[in-house]
Amino acid sequence: MVAQSPVDKPSTAEQILDLLLDALAERQQARRAQARVSPPPAAPPLRPASPPVEQIRPAAPPGPVPRPPVPPPRREPEPGDEDWQPPPRLPSINLGKTLGRLLILVAGLVALINIPVNRYGVSLARILPDSASLIIRDGLVLKGSGPEIYVLEDNKLRWISSLEAFEYFGYTWDQVHIVDDKFLEGFEKGRPIYVLLKCPASPHIYRLENQQKRWIKDIDTFLAEGHVWEDVKFVTCDYLRSLPDGPPIPEDAGPPPQP
Amino acid sequence: MKDLAVIETILRNRHHFFIEIRDGVELKEKMRAMLISSILFLALYGGVLGATHSLWQTLSSAVKLPILFLLTLVICTPTLYFFNVLFGSNQSLTQNFALILTAITVTAVLLLSFAPIVVFFLLTTANYQFFKLLNVAIFAICGATGVTFLSQGMRLVSAAGKEGASARRWVLRLWILIYAFVGSQMAWTLRPFIGAPSMKFELFRQLGGNFYTNIFASIGEILGFFVVR
Repeated sequence: MVAQSPVDKPSTAEQILDLLLDALAERQQARRAQARVSPPPAAPPLRPASPPVEQIRPAAPPGPVPRPPVPPPRREPEPGDEDWQPPPRLPSINLGKTLGRLLILVAGLVALINIPVNRYGVSLARILPDSASLIIRDGLVLKGSGPEIYVLEDNKLRWISSLEAFEYFGYTWDQVHIVDDKFLEGFEKGRPIYVLLKCPASPHIYRLENQQKRWIKDIDTFLAEGHVWEDVKFVTCDYLRSLPDGPPIPEDAGPPPQP
Repeated sequence: MKDLAVIETILRNRHHFFIEIRDGVELKEKMRAMLISSILFLALYGGVLGATHSLWQTLSSAVKLPILFLLTLVICTPTLYFFNVLFGSNQSLTQNFALILTAITVTAVLLLSFAPIVVFFLLTTANYQFFKLLNVAIFAICGATGVTFLSQGMRLVSAAGKEGASARRWVLRLWILIYAFVGSQMAWTLRPFIGAPSMKFELFRQLGGNFYTNIFASIGEILGFFVVR
């Protein structure tokens, strides 16, 4: 501060200006000291208006500003702690009744989706075509848009040659899955499935077709038709004789012999 | 209806429920109510699962699903109990049983809440693999929530025995893993619950394969990598 003689006493305005200058210098010093202790905050907080002139005190000596110690964060007591108290009991909202209603609703839904809705006895739950959900496995019975029915064996489609063969091998209509022709095209064709019958007392082999037995003339014809010995089923001669004769294989083979 | 009221206590006032289990208040009544509720809920959800195949499958799954959970409970409870005792727990076997039953009840009630969604997908999609994976996801969510309840309950019920508390927490974590393994293997043993559409109804399928490879195969098929054989 500038020293002044008592003769030329400064005016009130000058005194106020001096005090303001002192206050500014004091504040600047305090800021510098704070900057040395800690990095400045990103945005300075809003400061209150300058104190009245009477409250301005002489500058404090520069140095680090002591910070109050931070108290450790208090841990909330958890279930299991000694000082833990359970929250107050919540009032009832009749959840039991709501659950009872939900139970009845779901039970009704389960019953509803199991009721047959079409003339084939198929229920709502099973009415969607299931071609997209087939598990590809041996024994899967498939049908495309045509009348042919196939059985999948070793990744090959085997055509079931007749209704007799279908029934003889124990297939049922509810096992037949109707699929897109494109799905069928994805598989190789295997040997067709025929019912080949033979009785122990006779050397002849017959093919069952249209509820008639068709005599296969000889081994060459048998092999040429794509048959294998494993497909021949043994039945009693009486049963074979009871079946009416159909045209022999080949058709010009002559009259068929009786077993 | 009175037995269903226990669900409200478990869901809304669980801390009080666990304190009552700790203090042994009406333990038998609680267990009976939880048993009846979970059997009802699980049977209904099982019925929904099986409806996609046939009426027989519906009935069979309705019986088998509660059996799956209760058998898993019976098989896994002694392990948890004895390991807890080993590490200083003062709970009784009945208290342990009640706590695990609480987890099953929570799982069951959540499964029931998912039932309308499952019915919706059952009626609108015919993809078996998708339906199977959807249900695996639902079971995983509900099961995880159930064991979270078990974990909270165990902490509260075993609060009296401070000794070995940390070890018991580890025991519980490992036990939850074992419980999940036993549950999934039990589900595989008792299958089918949904029933593959191309296969005839069977009460139990022949053993072979395992739950996890089957799920991976289903995910592979859904993503178009291969066809389940």
